[in-house]
Amino acid sequence: MKRSLLYGMIAVMLMMLTGCGYNEIQKNEETVKAAWGDVEATYQRRMDLIPNLVETVKAYAKHESETLQAVTEARSKVGSVQVSKDMIGNPQAMAQFQQAQASMSGALSRLLLVAERYPDLKASQNFRDLQNQLEGTENRINVARTRYNKAVQVFNTSIRVFPNNLTNNFILKLQPKEAFKAEAGADKAPKVKF
Amino acid sequence: MLKNQGKATETVKPMGYFVLFCVFCAIALAHSAAFALDVPPLKGRVNDYANMMSPGIRTQLETVLRDFEKSDSTQVVILTIDSLEGDTIDQFGIRVGEAWKIGQKGKDNGVIFLVAKNDRKTRIEVGRGLEGKLTDLTAGRIIQLVINPQFKKGDFDAGFSSGVKAIIDATRGEFKAEGRGRGAGSKVKGRGGIMTALPFLIIGIIVIIFIGRMSRYAGGAVGLAGFPLIGFFAGFSLLVIVIMGIIGAVLGLFIPLLFGRSSGGGTHSDGGWGPGGGFIGSSGGGDFGGGDDFGGGGGDFGGGGSSDDW
Repeated sequence: MKRSLLYGMIAVMLMMLTGCGYNEIQKNEETVKAAWGDVEATYQRRMDLIPNLVETVKAYAKHESETLQAVTEARSKVGSVQVSKDMIGNPQAMAQFQQAQASMSGALSRLLLVAERYPDLKASQNFRDLQNQLEGTENRINVARTRYNKAVQVFNTSIRVFPNNLTNNFILKLQPKEAFKAEAGADKAPKVKF
Repeated sequence: MLKNQGKATETVKPMGYFVLFCVFCAIALAHSAAFALDVPPLKGRVNDYANMMSPGIRTQLETVLRDFEKSDSTQVVILTIDSLEGDTIDQFGIRVGEAWKIGQKGKDNGVIFLVAKNDRKTRIEVGRGLEGKLTDLTAGRIIQLVINPQFKKGDFDAGFSSGVKAIIDATRGEFKAEGRGRGAGSKVKGRGGIMTALPFLIIGIIVIIFIGRMSRYAGGAVGLAGFPLIGFFAGFSLLVIVIMGIIGAVLGLFIPLLFGRSSGGGTHSDGGWGPGGGFIGSSGGGDFGGGDDFGGGGGDFGGGGSSDDW
């Protein structure tokens, strides 16, 4: 008798958990984390391309050491600002991350602008290959960011609507996640067309 | 009546404002949604909305791409549009990928060959599963060295067919159609074909037993016709198809003996043909006849690929 009552209570509690959005919130948070993983991976991909790009440009444009220096510095700065999956609720960390990546984008587009002045560099197959890869990577970054923002929106909504907000306030205590903010010029991929 | 109505509107005023506000919001929403270029419906493997290809090349490419999906399960789709209407081809490409879901679910092996005619832009959108083989670099080279030179000359047919060929060459062997043995190269093909045809052969044998119990000769005839047909749809060579015909006829004549109760004579042959037709139909339409009813398999895109002007 007692035992069946216990089972009944467990069943009711489980139902309450699904009904009050507990599972929904958990799922949405995992989606956000997965989307953040993609964002990180695409940025990492860009970082991996940069040494190669710098080397290629250096071979043709030795005098542009300043621009090359800026790219290398931006890259090392980006490397030092890592936002782990548990930190995406932290506005400061996200802002730092965004700022570092934006300065990276800026340095890159300056480098590509410089490359414009060197016809030999532009014509080299190596540089054109890098351009293709860089373009693809910038596009992936865009896609990953858009998807991350969508996931964040879904998550943030799911912890604010009733009755999920009660569940979150009393049980989960999760913070809203930070979305990428469109910065001036950052919404456009650096132009790498010639 | 009129008075009454006036009163009603007066009392309902705040409500009216609210409705008006909702309508306004809906319009704003619809407007923002319409701002981005809509993805056209998926018609088949070749979606030539900009009429860039000649009808001959269109059907040819349909066949080539269908055969490729049959052997490798990789889905390649062509889309041509007149204008991007201010959108960038990269952003439009990923939206097409998300809407059409080209590629098999789990394998994410879809490719979209996208051309905007008036913008003079080409893009190859690559599904996540193919990013290893058809890298951004490879896609970029295919566009810059294979497709766009032909487009520049105005020879769209050559551009499309050589582009499709290059895409297929780059992605061949990365995936195999369902139920095929794992391994490299096209040598596995014959063995893989048997794996595909096996369920149909088993069904065929059951049908032959069924018909053969009514009439052995009808069973033999169905075996003679039906087995090669299975072989034909599974893409076997002519020799194998002929051998399958002989095996089918022999099976049709003698298998019923094993199961007894064969009437032996041709008295029921008329009745025997009916299910025979059904048998052939079921083997043909079951899996391989899917060409007309084409749709994306649920593949995912992550923005891989390349695009360029011509």
